[in-house]
Amino acid sequence: MSSNKFWKLLGALGVVFALPWLFLIVIPFIKMSNAKPVPYTEADGVEGIAAYPDKALQRHGSSDYGRQIYAAEGCAYCHTQVVRPTYAGPDMWRPGWGGREEEGLARETHPGDYATEKVAMLGYQRIGQDLSNVGHRIKSREVMHQHLADPRGLDPDSGMPAYKHLYKKSSIDDGYVPTGKAEALVDYLMSLKKDQKIPSAVVSGS
Amino acid sequence: MTSEQPTPEEMSERAAIDRSARFPVLFFFTSAAAWLLVATLLGFFSSLKLCVPGLWDNCQFMGYGRLFPAHMNALVYGWAMQAGLGVVLWLMARLSRNKIEHPVALIVAGALWNAGVTLSVVTVWFGFGNSVPLLDFPAWVWPIMAIAYALVVVWILPMFRSRGESLIYVSEMFVLGAVVWFPWIFITANLLINKGTAPVMAAGASAWFITNLSYFWMAPIALAIAYYIIPKITGRAIFSYPLAQVSFWILAALSGWTGFARYMGGPFPAWMSAVSGTASIFILLAIIVTVVNLLMTLKGATKIWEFSPSLRFTVFGMLMLAVYGLLSAMSSTYIFGKSLQFSHFVVGLDTLAFYGFFSMTVFGAIYFIVPRITGNEWPSGKRIRTHFWFSTYGIITLVVCMLIGGIAQGGSLSQWNQAFSTSFVTSSAYVAGRCIAWALISFSNFLFLYQLALMFIGKGRKTSGPTLIHAEPGKVESAKAAAGLN
Repeated sequence: MSSNKFWKLLGALGVVFALPWLFLIVIPFIKMSNAKPVPYTEADGVEGIAAYPDKALQRHGSSDYGRQIYAAEGCAYCHTQVVRPTYAGPDMWRPGWGGREEEGLARETHPGDYATEKVAMLGYQRIGQDLSNVGHRIKSREVMHQHLADPRGLDPDSGMPAYKHLYKKSSIDDGYVPTGKAEALVDYLMSLKKDQKIPSAVVSGS
Repeated sequence: MTSEQPTPEEMSERAAIDRSARFPVLFFFTSAAAWLLVATLLGFFSSLKLCVPGLWDNCQFMGYGRLFPAHMNALVYGWAMQAGLGVVLWLMARLSRNKIEHPVALIVAGALWNAGVTLSVVTVWFGFGNSVPLLDFPAWVWPIMAIAYALVVVWILPMFRSRGESLIYVSEMFVLGAVVWFPWIFITANLLINKGTAPVMAAGASAWFITNLSYFWMAPIALAIAYYIIPKITGRAIFSYPLAQVSFWILAALSGWTGFARYMGGPFPAWMSAVSGTASIFILLAIIVTVVNLLMTLKGATKIWEFSPSLRFTVFGMLMLAVYGLLSAMSSTYIFGKSLQFSHFVVGLDTLAFYGFFSMTVFGAIYFIVPRITGNEWPSGKRIRTHFWFSTYGIITLVVCMLIGGIAQGGSLSQWNQAFSTSFVTSSAYVAGRCIAWALISFSNFLFLYQLALMFIGKGRKTSGPTLIHAEPGKVESAKAAAGLN
């Protein structure tokens, strides 16, 4: 086959794919990468926090190790971390999923909420609860450990497996003692809060 | 690909090409089939764990979050990619009338690919994964796979380039497309996930990668096979060549836009999932056109599928492709998507792509290719038939259970005032169905691997006629007469 014809076909195959690649992946990626925190204005009426996303939520040390354990155990195959607007699903109706309802802060998830992650753990399936705001829903470390070590002790209908390998058998009683991994995972889970008020300067959906 | 009888020179040319392809292609097929068996077993155990959550509580290796990704990796990279490469090599050699010049280099590249797959499965299984579906191996694994892939396909492009000036076959276009597109999506997605600084786009890239893998690797290879095997076995030309070309370019132009419909209402600009959903719906058109084109080619000769294993698997695979197109278009709309997204339906849809249409079609190709490259016929038509029916019932059970289970689960999730665990309880019976489906599929693939291993070590039947289903081995004429075709 003539060289010309060969390159023409190969070029056509490239061009048809280059379009979606550029417009759906590369350009949105460039626009979203290294997003800078957006400061609050007076009109937002937020006190104590300077910008969205809050720097204090930046993950380090133990909770960052916990993020790796969350990923390694494949938690995202059953747990999502995305709260959809009501047109795409009734997530906001579930108590506590959108965040602190009493304080009027419950909302859908926003791209800035994931600034603390390497890869946003949006999830593959929703066999278990959405964990976007689990840090607000479960406030005690004790209960969080119980959820990991013996989930069906808390809810007999739960489909969650027990993560016994993150715990050691106690030498005193029948209980389980968390390992460093379990503590880190709990640190990570307690840090999952995605209901910070969005500054008016952030245009919704951009 | 017309019904003209080949001349003796052409016959010996083809035989020489087949001989040159023997070792590399068999290497890819056999190791792929071994990975497929591993994948189906992991699929069975992961479904069992999901069905009975209390099982193996103390064993970290038997958690669903590790078994399921290991299963997906083995299924896609171990089986689907590798079997696809085998098919691509043989098809390109035959269609461009080139011998495979460097069998040893191909086998070395194949061994490197297998090393990459082993690492990807083992790292995820042993707890070094990162929870990104199909791309969850540590960052140092993917370059190994990319290099191994490049070392294989570097021999395919020159083969195509040095072909004669005749009409380009549709199969060749599909093969060429798959070969060019796969590394592009694979490298893009991996770079975004491992080196990117946009966490949300990294997640988006993983969804984009899964659907693109289906449309840019699974579908083109399945269609390349169908456009080759259906005319070849029925002895007819494709019903409409222009239609085939049009559907090729529609598929090529739209597939890259899919993926984001998996995160409808997610933290992306809303246009992204809207564009993806629209693309999936228009792709359905291309798929319907393609399947109709192939069925029209087959028209009046459908009875051949009673006894030709290759045709039977291929045609069933094409019907599954139509179902896949329909379900993925359906789930891209808000009406269905809002309850189906994140439900068991997702697993059903992905498995339908990886096992339903892709694997069934590739089985058809393997039943066609292996006797030609080894010079032996398949040992038992009965085993082929068992393989077909167990696989068919398995995949249909799986898809139906996951579809209905997904609807049940999604419906239960939208009852916001019910306890969350109700959604798990309502759908657990369907997960049991998924478990049974994998058991059936595992059994059928054990038979497949056994037959393929016999062929590999040269223990096939040494006769001239092909092994057929429902007919005396080798007696094509008697089978044709029985089907009322002569």
